[in-house]
Amino acid sequence: MMILITNNQRVAETFGDNIDLHFMPEKTYQEILLYARDRIHEGYKLLSHPLSGSVKPNETPFKSILISEKQQTLDYDSLVIIEDSLATVRKFNNNKITPKWTESILDDFRVIDLSLIKGAIEGNQ
Amino acid sequence: MRLELGKIKIADVQFSEETKVENGTLYVNKQEIIDLVMEDDHIVKCVVELARPGESVRITPVKDVIEPRVKVEGPGGIFPGMINKVTTVGEGRTHTLNGAAVVTCGKIVGFQEGIIDMSGPGAELTPFSKLNNVCVVVEPKEGIEQHTYEKAARMAGLKVATYLGKAAIDVEPDEIVAYETKPLLEQVAEYPDLPKVGYVYMLQTQGLLHDTYVYGVDAKKIIPTVLYPTEIMDGAVLSGNCVSACDKNTSYHHLNNPIIEELYKKHGKEINFIGVIATNENVYLADKERSSNWSAKFAKYLGLDAVIISQEGFGNPDTDLIMNCKKIENEGVKTVIVTDEYAGRDGASQSLADADPKADAVVTGGNANEVIVLPPMDKVIGMLDYADKIAGGFDGSLRPDGSIEAEIQVITGATNELGFNKYSATTY
Repeated sequence: MMILITNNQRVAETFGDNIDLHFMPEKTYQEILLYARDRIHEGYKLLSHPLSGSVKPNETPFKSILISEKQQTLDYDSLVIIEDSLATVRKFNNNKITPKWTESILDDFRVIDLSLIKGAIEGNQ
Repeated sequence: MRLELGKIKIADVQFSEETKVENGTLYVNKQEIIDLVMEDDHIVKCVVELARPGESVRITPVKDVIEPRVKVEGPGGIFPGMINKVTTVGEGRTHTLNGAAVVTCGKIVGFQEGIIDMSGPGAELTPFSKLNNVCVVVEPKEGIEQHTYEKAARMAGLKVATYLGKAAIDVEPDEIVAYETKPLLEQVAEYPDLPKVGYVYMLQTQGLLHDTYVYGVDAKKIIPTVLYPTEIMDGAVLSGNCVSACDKNTSYHHLNNPIIEELYKKHGKEINFIGVIATNENVYLADKERSSNWSAKFAKYLGLDAVIISQEGFGNPDTDLIMNCKKIENEGVKTVIVTDEYAGRDGASQSLADADPKADAVVTGGNANEVIVLPPMDKVIGMLDYADKIAGGFDGSLRPDGSIEAEIQVITGATNELGFNKYSATTY
């Protein structure tokens, strides 16, 4: 079963049946990537790209990532992708921190994040 | 497949009782456009305004830009799978209103971007400041969800571009340019001594406001395929609007793809331009693996010596780009990649989220993090209150006097990864 890591309420509400949901609304975008990175070190494999979407990491607070069930060995490709993605996130955060958005804009970001991960889940479940 | 593009040069746009082209001026019946757009009951209001080069006008938030075109000879109609039937296009003759465009605006999501300034420093960074623009601002019915609004705005733009394109049917073009690509074996035989070059056309395909359509098919659902370049000139590839203005290809970019244009200019002289491999940029990693495997397979299968690969968008497409580059190089086919950069405001940071030694021939469309101050304009078409919530903007970016301080990623087409812009970088 795929594991879905997210801090997005809309994603958590949409998926959750047929998927192992790790919903952590308190985590930031970067913390979601760090959580995924730690799982990769434990043997989980990355299934969706951590930098999905053109909305920038210092723009949207929301992120959803798919990983596999635990494998026997470390997946090096996954590790490279998540570390490169984290480097990109840090670069953007050093440039400028995420603004404090209004609730209606936050919800638009949730909708975009949901749309990005939905295509990945529905095409591959 | 042979296509003649009949270019009707447009130097001005004016409102009129009748939509027509006369002496280089596009005359537009405003009410007919409004009526056409309002046929969609998801839209409650449509405002049509004109913007000409040099005017003190800011258009925002821009969702798509489309060149009006019409097929006058040959099978099918313009924008197949969207406006017309899915008949294969790319043959015969197509007329274009060269110098005019339809620009759609709408607040599909609250954080917005996509600025076209018709004068000032911002105008230098977007090719659309040089066009005579028919701006269509669409407001949705209250309560409709974002996907529905996106589709309504997308179709409104295509319908208006089709409507205006029809004004070009009986007009004698100022210039006719012919493009021809033959079936593979004939094309290879035509210039046996020239290097066989293809074009790997990466299309952004990730979800809402990150999508692209091929003959009306959401391209995240395709496996890579081969197109004649002339099919693209008839609208076989179209944008699904954008949230990232600087490096999402508008429909105008697809119709006027400068890489295809340049490859044709060298066709039969320096190279043998074989065709286009259209591929996607999906979120799911196995999709990225599959699509890059297929683009490499096609590069080999078509017997190519070299390919140009163009990226679209930011972040995860860097991975698709490098996968395509590595796998195609591993087939013994040379590659040149075209991308843009997010290298920080000082330009000193790592530009891409992925890299490989095989990517040793790179063309960049510029650094999207570069900061610009856009002075106030006399007139705003669209909604400026959203401009302080744009990607690359930041709190307070919209100043009280109407000027905007932001990264150039807010400007439509500023770092376009087809090279349809002015920024780049050179290594000395």
